[in-house]
Amino acid sequence: MNLFQAITSALDNSLAKDPTAVIFGEDVAFGGVFRCTVGLRDKYGKDRVFNTPLCEQGIVGFGIGIAVTGATAIAEIQFADYIFPAFDQIVNEAAKYRYRSGDLFNCGSLTIRAPWGCVGHGALYHSQCPEAFFAHCPGIKVVIPRSPFQAKGLLLSCIEDKNPCIFFEPKILYRAAVEQVPVEPYNIPLSQAEVIQEGSDVTLVAWGTQVHVIREVASMAREKLGVSCEVIDLRTIVPWDVDTVCKEECFLHLEAPISRVCGYDTPFPHIFEPFYIPDKWKCYDALRKMINY
Amino acid sequence: MAAAVSAARLWGKSRGLGQAAFLLLQRPGARGLARSHPHRQQQQAFSSLDDKPQFPGASAEFIDKLEFIQPNVISGIPIYRVMDRQGQIINPSEDPHLPQEKVLKFYRSMTLLNTMDRILYESQRQGRISFYMTNYGEEGTHVGSAAALDGTDLVFGQYREAGVLMYRDYPLELFMAQCYGNISDPGKGRQMPVHYGCKERHFVTISSPLATQIPQAVGAAYAAKRANANRTVICYFGEGAASEGDAHAGFNFAATLECPIIFFCRNNGYAISTPTYEQYRGDGIAARGPGYGIMSIRVDGNDVFAVYNATKEARRRAVAENQPFLIEAMTYRIGHHSTSDDSSAYRSVDEVNYWDKQDHPISRLRHYLVSRGWWDEEQEKAWRKQSRKKVIEAFEQAERKLKPNPNLLFSDVYQEMPAQLRKQQESLARHLQTYGEHYPLDHYDK
Repeated sequence: MNLFQAITSALDNSLAKDPTAVIFGEDVAFGGVFRCTVGLRDKYGKDRVFNTPLCEQGIVGFGIGIAVTGATAIAEIQFADYIFPAFDQIVNEAAKYRYRSGDLFNCGSLTIRAPWGCVGHGALYHSQCPEAFFAHCPGIKVVIPRSPFQAKGLLLSCIEDKNPCIFFEPKILYRAAVEQVPVEPYNIPLSQAEVIQEGSDVTLVAWGTQVHVIREVASMAREKLGVSCEVIDLRTIVPWDVDTVCKEECFLHLEAPISRVCGYDTPFPHIFEPFYIPDKWKCYDALRKMINY
Repeated sequence: MAAAVSAARLWGKSRGLGQAAFLLLQRPGARGLARSHPHRQQQQAFSSLDDKPQFPGASAEFIDKLEFIQPNVISGIPIYRVMDRQGQIINPSEDPHLPQEKVLKFYRSMTLLNTMDRILYESQRQGRISFYMTNYGEEGTHVGSAAALDGTDLVFGQYREAGVLMYRDYPLELFMAQCYGNISDPGKGRQMPVHYGCKERHFVTISSPLATQIPQAVGAAYAAKRANANRTVICYFGEGAASEGDAHAGFNFAATLECPIIFFCRNNGYAISTPTYEQYRGDGIAARGPGYGIMSIRVDGNDVFAVYNATKEARRRAVAENQPFLIEAMTYRIGHHSTSDDSSAYRSVDEVNYWDKQDHPISRLRHYLVSRGWWDEEQEKAWRKQSRKKVIEAFEQAERKLKPNPNLLFSDVYQEMPAQLRKQQESLARHLQTYGEHYPLDHYDK
């Protein structure tokens, strides 16, 4: 399956298993702008897979309300770039629902999904990676898969998790990434990073599409520099797996300062995307400088 | 009503203009062509001789005269009432003929709330609690609507609906516990006073951001519809909160997704210091309903029977027909916005006194009770004494209780406590071992 098919499969499993589960958002009824919900309305009915008006704050608020009654709400935001109108509902409401009520009420059965990340031509408003805005918000979980197999298992875990979750789907991988994905449901645990390659000299950490970039950088480092890289996919941004990525005392064991390779502090540009993104050459160069520190 | 419901089902199969006219009377804003999805109905052959509008977006006739619709705010939507200001029934056919016990419960709920408000407001002035909001003048909106619902109907409030909980017999001890944030608070001391919540009484915990509850209430109503729960959801908000985007979102979703929900707007004239003239320029909130395709009514919020009748009928139809209802209850906020406000800065004492003395929901109901021989001066005196005693007892007990253990600072962020948070909890415990003398630990449960 490719990534969007893996998503559809996860959603199909969820609606089959949980009679309270519903999927809603803009354009999900006909299958969605990225085909993630194709076939689900015909299979499960128009009361379970339905369009909402064009209003992100409404979509998330509505989803919270469904979850408050204990039913499973799977809300789609059409692009992560458009999640901001829902920021108040996510940060001030969903994230705090259980805590502020003393656990009398919660919206744990809410999952918000959104296409995420650069795609080659998306520019300012179809390329954003807004996870950082949510990373310091206690009460929600933010999860980003790197592949179809990871996506299905992580999405199912998000849907079944008893806390409100945001699941960002790397849109550039929707069609491009293809791998074997079981048709039956399975779970990949949240808040657990994955060491996808062992190494001893440098640790490379990324999530989503960038995991593939650093995996390639690890190969380049081995070939050109004889350097052994550990490659970690963080998977859950918050609450994150501190123990896998670093020990609390690791600061004293570092032989070089930590290097962050990311986009520049500008909005995501259109024609300049090839220069903007943290590609393998920039990551490789940062690694090279780190080795020579 | 059966006719309206079955006609609504026929609607989806696009039976033509005859049915359209009937349903336009029943459901303002329901459209002919738009409601039957163009992809699902058979494509009608468009004859070039057919000069009627074909737009999917509106069901309307052409007009060849250029005319703007003038919004009507001089004579707006009329205000439904049952009693006059002296508590006399105006139109006997609108008298709900409620039994004496029930009407006495209305009266006791409103007055007990009023008494609790006075004592807790005062307790804030004395530094015993940090903050308080009174409900003066709006008791009728709370009790009239609460009484018209089923006890299991889910309530989403804003912050000035304590009378709903009072009517549902929420104990004084727990109101006080939340205001004091003591160990008896089911909310575990997490929020400012008056942010009540009660699972058993189906009252969702209050949050400070305004209008956020509106789309949430709609989602809850949708889930209730799917569950065939025979349950409605009521969502309270003020005329100020109705300006928020979440209100627009909620109304639109409720209508398009056909949710069994009652939107109850308390239009009390002010949003803190902002009068309605600066909040909106149209005919209040009720006039917005038809714009969304929502059945709407305006009522006298200080007339507990009018509130009751409107809510009762809205509830019945919302559940039977799976559509939203909007009730705008006109009232007046007699008290300050909160203990952080002094409203003499922006309105006259005369204005406030008018409402307090001439048009108060409690007085009007008392006149009704007295004229029916269900209440008298002696009972009034006895009840005032008794209710005051109950409130003061609850208040003194609440004062004496400890606050919850500081460990409760860390729980319920997630369903399970993440490792990092447990580390932080342990870090605070160690910190208090060394620096505990600088913290008010004596007031907290060990």
